[in-house]
Amino acid sequence: MASTGTGGPDLERNIAPELREQLEGLPASFQKEFDAAATTLSFIFNEEELDAWAKEALSISTHTARSWEAGVEYLKVSGAVAKRLSFASFTQWARCGAYLSNDSPTLAVAYFRASPDIVANLRPQHIARWASLGRSMYKGTWKSSGLASKFFEVSPSLARNLSFWDVEVFAGLIEGLSAKSYDLATECLVLGSDALSGMSREREPFLSLCRALTDTGWREVKACFQVVGKALPLVEESQKSRFLRLAERLAREGSRETSAFLVSGSTALGKIKPQDQQRILDLCDSLLTVSPPAVHAFLHSLDSVLSRITMAQLDTWFERGARLIRENPEGGLAYFRVESATSEEVIEGLSSSLELERVKGVLMLYCRALSGADVEVTESDKLVHKGIGWVSEGHATTEGTKVYLPLIIDRYPTKGDNFGWYKVVSTHQVAHIEFGSFLFAFEKPSNLFQDARLDREKALLSTVTEDLEMKALQRGAEKNWVTDMSRYFSLFTDRKLALDVFTLMEDGRLDFRVKGEYPGIKGFYGRVQEGALEGRPSIRELPLRQALVELLTRFSMDQRRGLPTPKRYAKAARALAKIQNRLRSPEATVEDTAEATLRAYDVLSRVPNEREPEEEWENQDFDAEEEFSEEELAELIKEMGPVPQEGSMEQEPYESPEEIDYRGDFKPELVQTLNRMRSGQTGESEEGTGGLTQEMLEEMLRQSAELGTEQEGEGMETFAQNLMKEAGVTSPMASPGQGYGPMVHVDEQGGSLEAREPKTYVYDEWDFRAVDYKPKWCIVREKTVDEGDLRFFGDTMRNYAPLINDVRRQFELVIPESFRKVRRQPDGDEFDLDASVEAMIDRRSGITPSEKVYWFRNKQERDVAVVFLLDMSASTAEAIDEGRPTPGDQDAPDDPVEYMMWLRARREGLVQRRYKRIIDLEKEGVALLLQALESIGDVYGVYGFSGYGRENVEFYVIKDVDERFSDAVKKRIDKISPLHATRMGPAIRHATAKLERQEAKTKILFLISDGRPQDRGYSREGVEKEYAVHDTHMALVEARRLNISPFCLTVDKSGHDYLKAMCGDVGYEVLEDIWTLPQRLPQLYRKLTI
Amino acid sequence: MAKITGELYNQFTIEEYYVEDKPFYLPVNDEVELFEAAYAARVPILLKGPTGTGKTRFVEYMAWKLGRPIAAAKRSPAKAASNGRLIPLITIACHEDLTASDLVGRYLLDAEGTRWIDGPLTRAVKSGAICYLDEIVEARKDTTVLIHPLADHRRVLPVEKQGLVLEAKKGFQLVISYNPGYQSALKDLKESTRQRFIAIEFTPPPPEVEAKIVEAESGCAPQQSLALAKLGEKIRNLQEHGLREGASTRVLIYAGKLMANGIAPRRACHVAVVWGITDDHEVQRSIEEVVSSIFE
Repeated sequence: MASTGTGGPDLERNIAPELREQLEGLPASFQKEFDAAATTLSFIFNEEELDAWAKEALSISTHTARSWEAGVEYLKVSGAVAKRLSFASFTQWARCGAYLSNDSPTLAVAYFRASPDIVANLRPQHIARWASLGRSMYKGTWKSSGLASKFFEVSPSLARNLSFWDVEVFAGLIEGLSAKSYDLATECLVLGSDALSGMSREREPFLSLCRALTDTGWREVKACFQVVGKALPLVEESQKSRFLRLAERLAREGSRETSAFLVSGSTALGKIKPQDQQRILDLCDSLLTVSPPAVHAFLHSLDSVLSRITMAQLDTWFERGARLIRENPEGGLAYFRVESATSEEVIEGLSSSLELERVKGVLMLYCRALSGADVEVTESDKLVHKGIGWVSEGHATTEGTKVYLPLIIDRYPTKGDNFGWYKVVSTHQVAHIEFGSFLFAFEKPSNLFQDARLDREKALLSTVTEDLEMKALQRGAEKNWVTDMSRYFSLFTDRKLALDVFTLMEDGRLDFRVKGEYPGIKGFYGRVQEGALEGRPSIRELPLRQALVELLTRFSMDQRRGLPTPKRYAKAARALAKIQNRLRSPEATVEDTAEATLRAYDVLSRVPNEREPEEEWENQDFDAEEEFSEEELAELIKEMGPVPQEGSMEQEPYESPEEIDYRGDFKPELVQTLNRMRSGQTGESEEGTGGLTQEMLEEMLRQSAELGTEQEGEGMETFAQNLMKEAGVTSPMASPGQGYGPMVHVDEQGGSLEAREPKTYVYDEWDFRAVDYKPKWCIVREKTVDEGDLRFFGDTMRNYAPLINDVRRQFELVIPESFRKVRRQPDGDEFDLDASVEAMIDRRSGITPSEKVYWFRNKQERDVAVVFLLDMSASTAEAIDEGRPTPGDQDAPDDPVEYMMWLRARREGLVQRRYKRIIDLEKEGVALLLQALESIGDVYGVYGFSGYGRENVEFYVIKDVDERFSDAVKKRIDKISPLHATRMGPAIRHATAKLERQEAKTKILFLISDGRPQDRGYSREGVEKEYAVHDTHMALVEARRLNISPFCLTVDKSGHDYLKAMCGDVGYEVLEDIWTLPQRLPQLYRKLTI
Repeated sequence: MAKITGELYNQFTIEEYYVEDKPFYLPVNDEVELFEAAYAARVPILLKGPTGTGKTRFVEYMAWKLGRPIAAAKRSPAKAASNGRLIPLITIACHEDLTASDLVGRYLLDAEGTRWIDGPLTRAVKSGAICYLDEIVEARKDTTVLIHPLADHRRVLPVEKQGLVLEAKKGFQLVISYNPGYQSALKDLKESTRQRFIAIEFTPPPPEVEAKIVEAESGCAPQQSLALAKLGEKIRNLQEHGLREGASTRVLIYAGKLMANGIAPRRACHVAVVWGITDDHEVQRSIEEVVSSIFE
């Protein structure tokens, strides 16, 4: 720092008079500023220096008319700057400012303004370079000066956080960008200074990435600056640079979506454990060398893949994909998107977790086999959503007709074991149905106990009491109970305890029954039970009553050894064990459970729910063989005294035991209610509810202990309504139109689809690029064609009367043809005279005669099933002009929307001229064929197809295979009309599925179309045209594999080119003269089937 | 009669084949009484029911029962036949190429010319046998018409080629069997055929009975036969849910036989029951799960 020896602020003395003079020429504000600055500086600079400073100020301010503004800024900051810099550096700084001011005063203003902050953070030797960075951004234009000024403006914060080297790189980057767009460069400058400030070591790779982007995709830079601040924090610290370098390499490889990659990539990485991120990036790197787009796909599907397999298994999955992508890039890409069947298979093979979806079918049949009822298996969350009382999503349960299981199981290390769990759980749930848990009848005697239920009820009712609740009960007994279960539970004061005990007793009984009936499952059942026991709470820590209930829980799961028992209630515990033992018999029924519950309840309700000191416990063994005796129990009850009063101070509120997961939610009362309502449906009962009103239901629900406390607030009304809905009873209050909602549009890019609605079916689609199926790609919606007018059929019959006779005769000829007399057979009805004579001659002349001397009627039974698939796409609305050639497709626009408009326009014009459309001829052909087919007696179905998009392939039933020919069918023909697009593949697959179910020896799939298959995402772009043809071809090949002979008839004269590819060795015919369609159709069919 | 031709095999003339040893048959219902009554009244019988429910065995049993000599002492068949007590059983398995001449008879070439040879049906009519046409729907439709005159009050068989009409001998009984499970329009009995018979329906026996049958037939342990009967019951629950027909008693017996010969129960069920009754993979798997639940 310069010496400041010359103290006094004597301005007049310090400023040379000639300078003074020049100052006079400048605005007053400048002079004021000058004086202020000079005063400050006079403490810092010596006279000489001050002189130099003043000169500089003047030189800055006098370049152009507006330079003085820059001068003012110079004066303002001089003091602050001077404090930081040596005089030499100060001079250099001032000089730089002067140069800038020379170029553009605005620039210089910005420069000076930023200076005080800058000099605090920048080494003096960098100042000149800094100035030149800004200077170089200035290209003499207005926009460039704005940019450069902005640069100086943000410099302080940059300098504070970045090394000068980085600032230089960044400035270079911005300058590079400015060559493309100043606006963009300015925005990036601002965004960048924020973004970069927050970075540490990853800054360098990030800048490098940006530099790469300015070359390859400069528009992306801004987006990158925008997202990087949010994206990077998701990535583990040490991996940030790696990640950015990966992005850079991708960008250099030509990826255009770097910012999107930053977001999705970091999100993906953020979802996995930090220690795994490195491995993932390794994989990405190796994938990058093969296929950059696959990196994207890989990271995108990472989360869903890792939810099914572990990191270690991921390698295997990855390897397979990497190999695939080398051979077949498209296929590999689909693989990494998990849009290929191979990929699915590999994941499935690796993962130990088991999704219910995959074994649902097997489990359902298994449950049906065991129960003999039409049990269905579904996900347990579905029941929860119904809002009819079941609340725990992860648990298994049953409501009498369906078994609800958790969506996915990953408890054990192998799939097999996880399946075993499902099996155990289903077996237990089905046992409720199989062994009659829901068939409880109040008055039905039990097998193993002296029945006490009726006596109890009587006793309860005879008690003369003022208690309101009791009165209500009495009334209840007179009226009809909603269910036997409700009647039973009304015997208890503490319904919650009663339900808990009943549940434990019944589940215990079922477990015993299952193990006895199905010894094969015993092993795994035991394992599951042990697993459930591991998670049980410690008995000693429970208050007494709960502890005893917990003991009962253990008994029911076959745990009897070394159980902590409160000394005071050792006898009670033993009594419980004995009661439970009695249910361990194949003869025990649900009524026995009820009796056992009554007894256990008597004991338990006498145990106060209070804590017991540690020393009052001892471990006890219980014997499964110990016999229960009524007398012993009566004595114990007497000993225990009366039931303690509710609400005594020491007692803790009673809480139900923790749920046992494999047993799930057991709600006998609700199930009985549902069952009653369901049976009321089918029965002759006048009301649909089996005599239940909503009020009765609500009351029952209020009483029931099966509804958790959390539900009570929800209002029993909704509840009752939901229940009624579930049972199929529509409450009059239900609002209409709660159907399936509007069709959800699913994008072509999306994943697999699911058929959620009735009459919808999902099919795979063949992706020839990936050489693999896209799993569950299309939804076929089956609809029946509306019925129209009978007249169409009649008219057709009349118009084609001669043809019909001809066709019929031809078809009738088919029959005798199959009864040909076959001569010279080794066996047969009668002698073939010629052959016999020859044989006799041979024999007499000593030659061994031929044995073939019979003839027989070779009756080849005609056994044909055929499905006609009619193209109902919009293009069939095309008119046919007699004499003139069918208008080609050349001028048809490619865009489907335009295409349809184009078609409509044409169609309208044609309707006026009353020409026939392709579809009309198709309809006539079908009508004729129907007539012919009826005469020959083949099994046949007629369908139309159209649709739009893969999630909406429409499949119209005109006559179902199993349907009889009727007027309804005739009427439907009238309504066949041109609709949307032509996605042939799924339609063929659906028709194939229908044919496959037929038993005929000969099965034919007859496709009638008017052109190429086409649909959104199926046929439009160059490659996709191929795609549609390939998928259709594959669908035909699939049909063929199933022993179905497909045949394609098309009226598209230009059809030869793609038909060859589409049909391969499948038969096809291009109809030269479309007018011959009605004649040709029966002819062709006849030819095919003889 | 048994003609002893060396010791290699037994060979019988068709109308001399008798059921000599008592076949094992456990009546489930009143079918025995019905058959006896129909036999006495000369009413033809239609046995209806899925495969492996004991139709064929029932006929054998009835043939034995109706022809059982009253004296306990075992007689030689020839003697018994001459007494007219033993009733021959002629079983014809129908197939789709079974022609009328296959049943009635045909001319054969001979050194001198042609020689007529009676078909099995003709021989049954002549000898007054029980003629059992198994799986009648499989035969060609024109063939089934042939039995019409035999199946009503006329009880005659016209033999066109010879220009004869044969009157059925006393004791001739026509029994046909039919499995409605096929349910195909092509494989259904004509009304005119159906309505010439009384129909006895065969259903899978209840588990207790089935267990006894399995035990007696296969010789496996009583416990195993119970488990097998249970398996049969469970599998039948799947009928119409992927299975066209449930496991027949016959396959259960096979499984039992394998077990009795030392094959592990699960394995025995797989080969005898699971793989036999369906090719549908999912159904197979479900049944395997049932098997593995029932058997250890």
